[in-house]
Amino acid sequence: MQTKILLDEEQIPKKWYNVQADLKSPLDPPLHPKTQKPIGPADLSAIFPMELIRQEVTTDRQIDIPEEVREVLQLWRPSPLYRAHRLEKFLKTPAKIYYKWEGVSPAGSHKTNTSIPQAYYNMKAGMERIATETGAGQWGSAMSFATMLYDLECTVYMVRSSYTQKPYRKSMMHVWGAECLPSPSTKTNAGRAMLEKDPDTPGSLGMAISEAVEDAASHSNTNYALGSVLNHVCLHQTVIGLECREQLALVDDYPDVVIGCVGGGSNFAGISFPFAGDKLTGKHKDVDIIGAEPASCPTLTKGLFTYDLADEAGYTPLLKMFTLGHDFVPPSMHAGGLRYHGDSPIVSRLVNDGVMRAVAYHQSEVFDAAQTFARTEGIIVAPETSHAVKSAIDEALKCKKSGEAKTILFNCSGHGNFDMSAYDDYYSGKLVDYEYPDDLIKESLARIPKIS
Amino acid sequence: MTRIGFLINPIAGMGGAVGLKGTDDKVEDALLRGAEPQAKNRAKITLNFLKKSKSLIFFTPAGAMGEDALRETGIHDVQIVSHPANKTTALDTKIAAQNFIERDVELILFCGGDGTARDIFDVVGRDIPILGIPAGVKMYSAVFAIDPSTAAEIVLTQGVLSYRDSEVMDVDEEAYQAGELKTFLYGIARVPSETGKTQTSKQVFEESDEERAKGDIARFIREIMIPDVLYILGAGTTTGSIACELGVTKTLLGVDAVKNGKTIARDIDEKALWVLLNETHEAKIVLSPIGAQGFILGRGNQQISARIVRRLGIKNIIVVATPHKLRETPVLYVDSGDRILDAEFGNTVLVVSGYRMAQRKPIYQPQRG
Repeated sequence: MQTKILLDEEQIPKKWYNVQADLKSPLDPPLHPKTQKPIGPADLSAIFPMELIRQEVTTDRQIDIPEEVREVLQLWRPSPLYRAHRLEKFLKTPAKIYYKWEGVSPAGSHKTNTSIPQAYYNMKAGMERIATETGAGQWGSAMSFATMLYDLECTVYMVRSSYTQKPYRKSMMHVWGAECLPSPSTKTNAGRAMLEKDPDTPGSLGMAISEAVEDAASHSNTNYALGSVLNHVCLHQTVIGLECREQLALVDDYPDVVIGCVGGGSNFAGISFPFAGDKLTGKHKDVDIIGAEPASCPTLTKGLFTYDLADEAGYTPLLKMFTLGHDFVPPSMHAGGLRYHGDSPIVSRLVNDGVMRAVAYHQSEVFDAAQTFARTEGIIVAPETSHAVKSAIDEALKCKKSGEAKTILFNCSGHGNFDMSAYDDYYSGKLVDYEYPDDLIKESLARIPKIS
Repeated sequence: MTRIGFLINPIAGMGGAVGLKGTDDKVEDALLRGAEPQAKNRAKITLNFLKKSKSLIFFTPAGAMGEDALRETGIHDVQIVSHPANKTTALDTKIAAQNFIERDVELILFCGGDGTARDIFDVVGRDIPILGIPAGVKMYSAVFAIDPSTAAEIVLTQGVLSYRDSEVMDVDEEAYQAGELKTFLYGIARVPSETGKTQTSKQVFEESDEERAKGDIARFIREIMIPDVLYILGAGTTTGSIACELGVTKTLLGVDAVKNGKTIARDIDEKALWVLLNETHEAKIVLSPIGAQGFILGRGNQQISARIVRRLGIKNIIVVATPHKLRETPVLYVDSGDRILDAEFGNTVLVVSGYRMAQRKPIYQPQRG
């Protein structure tokens, strides 16, 4: 009975898969926040290197992964695919559950899959410094690790509530030589304005993005890097799903259900886009692709599919995506990495087109699932990842009811070793089941007179 | 040094042990039935924790109303503010409270029940925060610590505490003696809250400031208010903050009605509300849970009766509460007097707790326990 399905280092994908090539129609273009006209490469060149801008807009199906990047990825890739025998037995399900374990990366999550190429392209473009934001600290630590490898400086604006809650994520960033500031900070105009408006704000990813973008735009030696949402970020993460497909082929399997947790959408994109591509091209029409999100920030399940800003202050382009509004500050729940008002435009499009679907969960039920997982498979997952675990368990229990032996694959995107205070809160009954009051909002919005 | 006003209602709790539902005006009866004073012993548990602190000065009435317990615990940094007679009454409590104001105490720590809370509140109102060591027969007010040692803990962390609004409840004594519980909202006191202690917790930013939370709730409710719909605002400061956001004043303890940002009716009783609703095309109720137990209906919001709720439908009730309040009431209650209606509320309710934010909270349903 095989538990770990492993690939050799030379089987690390040589090309990323770009799902844009298989969309039935092109994505709606990003719009300039002031002119509301489609933006061009020049608009982005102040904060991104040209190669990443190219990757953002290209519709080429495959994009080469530079050999120098693959060499770094070898530190932890290919990551193992596990068959969750113990979880299956515990659930008494006929389903086969597989999970891709991304917690083996140095920073402890999937985020390094994109921080490495982003830092690499910036180094190649002659940049000296990166400014970025982080929610729960996963991305900030991944980018700190990557910039260290390429001798770049790094400033991380960390959402204030996480900065207080997760002090060891800061420590990791310091070990790798980065500067980490609580956001909103007094270092940027955007941060100062937000603090003036609300000195006690817990911060949000949208606020932190504004600060990092401003920092990058106002320093010629500095570029900006984003850990999720954007097309090139999702592209880099496809190594996850591409490896999974190979690993499952080794055991002669293919998933009926593919699951990831969703904040900005990058780990979900990573595991699902290759399978979404199979669905779009008709190779596997029936694969069910599920994004699991928090009920307190239910972007895909309750948001509107429309153009919105990616940040709080309005520095970023308008993206066509599912959104709860760029001024929405999600509550300070434990899955800080999922506290984002919007979502990846590609994920949003695929959900809107019915290629993927989404589910939303409360905090306490995802921790129930995380506990089950830790007590069967051993791994203590990050609160973000626990949403995917919950969805996988739900699907496996559905199989138990129906008697179907489906193959369920989920992305186990990161470990929770720095989130033990969240588990403490769970055990002491302090978790709050936040929920977005969707009905109240929709009822009132429905009565607003439409202005043409 | 922190100046603490300390007061014991020596007869509090005596009735409970001998089957009386309260002790007010029944001391003799209680004594005849063999009741023994127990408030002092409860208070001494708290004082035993406090005696180690060198930064507290106590102001207290002489004898059984405070001084004795303090001295027996070994606390000598005590200033006497009044001299009650042997047989103490509500008036002695009020005199002591008045003296506490004159001595500029920063917190009143009292040992008693709902009656004691009301007497102190009558004098100090919201000017001085109060905290109860639970010792009474009836404790429906939200001003009590969960037990005497927690009361000590709260006093000792006074410097890092925030304050929250807590309801002082009034129980209909006659009905209560007859076995029927009728509680009314009497006032809203300021009570120290422990929140500040948990700096590492996730909720620290969100919950450290109750006023901020109320402002967020109010901003959200204002945003979702629909033109030409009548909004009935229940009792309390959270609904009060909604009125404030609309730029109107609201009866703190009563029920008001607003429409299109203007007050339509103030402090209306059940009958007037019924008439108003029958003249109205569409209405919604905004309520906040009341009392220590967190009642959505049936305590302090009696104007909103079962027939009113039935008339509007449960779906038109919007429940609002600050994260502070919700943390202290893990389960909410509904007691409209109509059990079928109560059951229709189901097992959970969505409570608006911030701007575009709510919490899913369980409702106690007796048949399920």
